[in-house]
Amino acid sequence: MKDYLVRVTENKRVAEDLYELSFAPKVGKFEQMKCGQFLQLQVPGLLLRRPFCLYKFDAESVTVAYAVVGKGTKEMIGLKKGDEFKVTLPLGNGWTLEEKHKKIVLLGGGVGCAPLAYVPITYPNRDYYAFFGFGDKSKVAFESEMSENSRLTVITTDDGSYGEKGFPTEAFEKRLQEIQPDVLLACGPRPMLKAAARLALKYNLAAYASTEERMGCGVGACLVCACAVKQADGSVAMKRACADGPVFKLEDLVL
Amino acid sequence: MNTAVKIAGVEFKNPIITASGTFGFGQEYDRFYDISVLGGICTKGVTKEPRKGNASPRIAETPSGMLNSVGLQNPGVDTFVKDDMPFLERKDIVTIVNIAGSCEDDYVYVAEKVNETQAQMVEMNISCPNVKAGGMAFGIYPESVRKITERVKKVCKKPLIVKLSPNVADIAVNALAAQDGGADAVSLINTVTGMAIDRFSRKPVLANVTGGLSGPCVKPIALRMVSEVYRKVRIPIIGLGGIMSAADAIEFMIAGATAVQVGSANIFDPMAAFNIVNELTKEMKYCKISDVNDIIGSLILP
Repeated sequence: MKDYLVRVTENKRVAEDLYELSFAPKVGKFEQMKCGQFLQLQVPGLLLRRPFCLYKFDAESVTVAYAVVGKGTKEMIGLKKGDEFKVTLPLGNGWTLEEKHKKIVLLGGGVGCAPLAYVPITYPNRDYYAFFGFGDKSKVAFESEMSENSRLTVITTDDGSYGEKGFPTEAFEKRLQEIQPDVLLACGPRPMLKAAARLALKYNLAAYASTEERMGCGVGACLVCACAVKQADGSVAMKRACADGPVFKLEDLVL
Repeated sequence: MNTAVKIAGVEFKNPIITASGTFGFGQEYDRFYDISVLGGICTKGVTKEPRKGNASPRIAETPSGMLNSVGLQNPGVDTFVKDDMPFLERKDIVTIVNIAGSCEDDYVYVAEKVNETQAQMVEMNISCPNVKAGGMAFGIYPESVRKITERVKKVCKKPLIVKLSPNVADIAVNALAAQDGGADAVSLINTVTGMAIDRFSRKPVLANVTGGLSGPCVKPIALRMVSEVYRKVRIPIIGLGGIMSAADAIEFMIAGATAVQVGSANIFDPMAAFNIVNELTKEMKYCKISDVNDIIGSLILP
């Protein structure tokens, strides 16, 4: 992990209230990153950095997807090509797939699809099945990127205005027997993670989820982003979403 | 150019110390830079028993600052001494162990455990606003400040710093009480109790309802308090509250601080304390200062 001065290469709207920001290091190259890791982005004029999961990345460029939800992300819309800011990356543990994980289900909700879309690039030559859910047609994103790298990509919308009507967990359960997945990776709103946890339990499926908490330092020192995680002895510990996560075993998360 | 300062016989190569609760036990930031460049590190608050801390969210951004309500989450002093202290003992840096507790006996217990380590100093946190009986109970009234200082000083073999709360009637009176109790130094200010509200949900942003305010927004309050305390006590002062730059550090020293602590700035930027150390000599040259000791309490009042 390192603190980089970066320069904006592109900042574009991809759906309603959803943007993609790309930037390159001002000097040198980024170090090795892994899907599911995140970064802390300094929004010009604001004190606390904003955490974003890596979406697309290589040594020369990083892209994050951001939903416009508050002061920081509203401010980010104004970033223009050539603007400079600081970014600390890569942070957290990211997704880890084992050798035996050949069939992988990616379950995403909204901007939470971003950290899943690049898993096939980090772990190629496996079968991916993506179920991405959005509020309505205007918010749908990541579909073409995901389709290119998966055997199946199903988009759902809450109101049925695009793809299948309903939640991505429902679309997945319908096809679960047919897919027979080895592992499930999930990122999205809490109700979606809860539904995913129920499915994982019901079908005895290995599952991991990326969590989100309001974050401070992002490097594990300030203990602000604590989330409740079940331990092997049955107790519950407050773990750092930044340094111990953001990816945890889904069954261990107290949702 | 001299940046070295001395507090209660302990030599710091420069007056920049990282503040408790913003720097863990040092390992995380040592991945960004060798923390030996710092004058000192003040550890995360350590208690007798392991503590889980408060529910999340524990942080809220505010104008020019932030609120936190971590609630003294820590592994407990035994685990700290075994797992975290050895790393700090290997570093060429003054280690100050911040201790906290729910009753006087807790503080005594933790101080005795710290005696067995190579830590150079102890900072007693009697000003944490985020835990019921988490220390601030002892930090409000001068008599209780004096009493707990006296008890901990009796067992503590390291120079003892008492960290003062700004959420009191008169911080200078409490500083005097700490001095009367035998404190070797005082550090101020801890965070200012505050609140953030979400107008849509009509709920407090922090799960703990209130939190401690820090960052540049508290700097003027902290400077005023350091200046007031400097005029009242003869023991050294460690100043903190919203320090973001070497220029800020120099202002605190002019107000009366012998050294300073950098807190929230570490959270805003992982390189903050490192950058402040590096800027210090440049800023000293700019302000025509050849020895930092020359400016301590050099404030010219009208």
